[in-house]
Amino acid sequence: MRLRWPMTRRRFLFTTGTGTVVAGVLGFFGATARFLFPNVLYEPPSRFPAGQPGDFPAGEPSFLADRRLFVFNSAEGFYAISSVCTHLGCNVRFVPGEGFACPCHGSRFDLNGQVVNGPAPRPLAWFGLSLSPRGELVVDEQLTVDPDYRFKV
Amino acid sequence: MPYTAQVRLWLGNVSRSVFRVGWPRTDKDRAAAMISSVFLHVHSAKVQRHSLRASYTLGLGLISFYLFGVLILTGIALMLYYTPSPPAAYRSMKDLQFVVTFGMVLRNMHRWAAHAMVAVVFLHMCRVFFTGAYKSPRQFNWVIGVGLLLLTLFLSFTGYLLPWDQLSFWAITVGSNMASYAPWLGDNLKYLLLGGNVIGPGALLRFYVLHCVILPAIALGLVAVHFFRVRKDGLSAPAPSEPAPVEEVRPGRFPASARSYGLMALTDRPALPVVEADPEDDVMSWPHLLYRELLVLLAVLVVLHVVSLLFDAPLEELADPTRTPNPAKAPWYFLGLQELVHYSAFIGGVLVPTIVVLLLLLTPYLDPLPRGVGVWFAPERRRANWIFGVLASVAILLTAIGTYFRGPNWAWVWPWTG
Repeated sequence: MRLRWPMTRRRFLFTTGTGTVVAGVLGFFGATARFLFPNVLYEPPSRFPAGQPGDFPAGEPSFLADRRLFVFNSAEGFYAISSVCTHLGCNVRFVPGEGFACPCHGSRFDLNGQVVNGPAPRPLAWFGLSLSPRGELVVDEQLTVDPDYRFKV
Repeated sequence: MPYTAQVRLWLGNVSRSVFRVGWPRTDKDRAAAMISSVFLHVHSAKVQRHSLRASYTLGLGLISFYLFGVLILTGIALMLYYTPSPPAAYRSMKDLQFVVTFGMVLRNMHRWAAHAMVAVVFLHMCRVFFTGAYKSPRQFNWVIGVGLLLLTLFLSFTGYLLPWDQLSFWAITVGSNMASYAPWLGDNLKYLLLGGNVIGPGALLRFYVLHCVILPAIALGLVAVHFFRVRKDGLSAPAPSEPAPVEEVRPGRFPASARSYGLMALTDRPALPVVEADPEDDVMSWPHLLYRELLVLLAVLVVLHVVSLLFDAPLEELADPTRTPNPAKAPWYFLGLQELVHYSAFIGGVLVPTIVVLLLLLTPYLDPLPRGVGVWFAPERRRANWIFGVLASVAILLTAIGTYFRGPNWAWVWPWTG
């Protein structure tokens, strides 16, 4: 629709009326799109107890399959590395002495989870740890930390 | 009047109230039969001999439509036994395979028809390109067709998750993570698609609703527009070498313009000006077109049944989010993209698909000259055909590499060694 000048009253009312209806309908659908994004997720909590520190053998990684992460018990302290490949979400495998390997597209990570080669765009995520009042090691997946992070118990 | 004659008259009245024309014996009745039925009037009363030639269309659009019909029917049947919630979804697949009468065959038909539809729709697009059939006045119908191709892929992709086995779970994990590489809205797109951050009950329900309601409804709408446009424009044909002669009107015969103006032609009005090609090149749709359509339907059904009786749809163990199979592959029609994703997730997951879709949508507007329409590999269109042919071959090659030449850790393997 082209605006013509000078505008008649009829034309002005038609333009503003149509514009308001169109804007209202579009706004209504735009706002309703928010419905499609759930506000409550029934997914496992991102902060959870992983077990007693004594459950994790020193020197080798423990793979928590249902949480998709590795917990390491090193001499300097505990740390947790995600097993979710940053490329397309497959589970990486731990290769002793080398690091991690992804079965889907061949991404390789070193022992710190840094990308060595392959299509993965980012290093594996490191998660912050804490101790629960019961003395359990708690992993917080919302809290990502640097690879020099160690948690002393 | 004898009693039997009365009964026959009465039955005749009932039959005429349903089928207004009866079994047609003249050309006029054949045209009227096409026009008076809601199902048949998707056809014109007459068709050009050229568009009936199997070597011209290869029947690919028709086969796509039949496969879509088979998918709707078998899909509705499968819905009766399917529960869209893990792990019951997997149990329903087991029931369909081992308990439900003909469950396995119906599931096989659904699976193979879906795979076939992806392939046939792609081939249909190639046919339309190589015959220049997307040119004026059919540009927008090509665009609708590209939409239908994307819908076919998305329909197949959403159906892939429903069995909730290892194959489906990891294929969708890889596929939905590809969506998250889209700049700015990637993560939101994935969240919207999955209804959360992980592939769980919410994602399965969303895929189910998309697969069974939303996408088929959109596809049916687009198919209607696609067919309507074909009906109005006719199938593509070479331009007439000389101006069409004005047709004389003879009683009981139809002007060639009946393709678009069949109803008006039924009245006793003066003849309409003829704008189509040589009218002698036209034949009645009943029986020439209908007969061929039924023959193709029969062939599709026979092939589908044989394949479904011989080969079972795969079903692996229950989906296990903690154990990634090696290699984890997307559905085969996305393996070309996965092969690219193997080099760079952004290029394979976002850049290349976006460019390809944009190029496809713009094809009729980038190549607007109305030359070489209605002929396979017209010499006037050699350059366009080469470009499209090379791109289509690259797509097929990448898909073949991803399907047959990639093994554990996505390393190169020879198909005959594994």
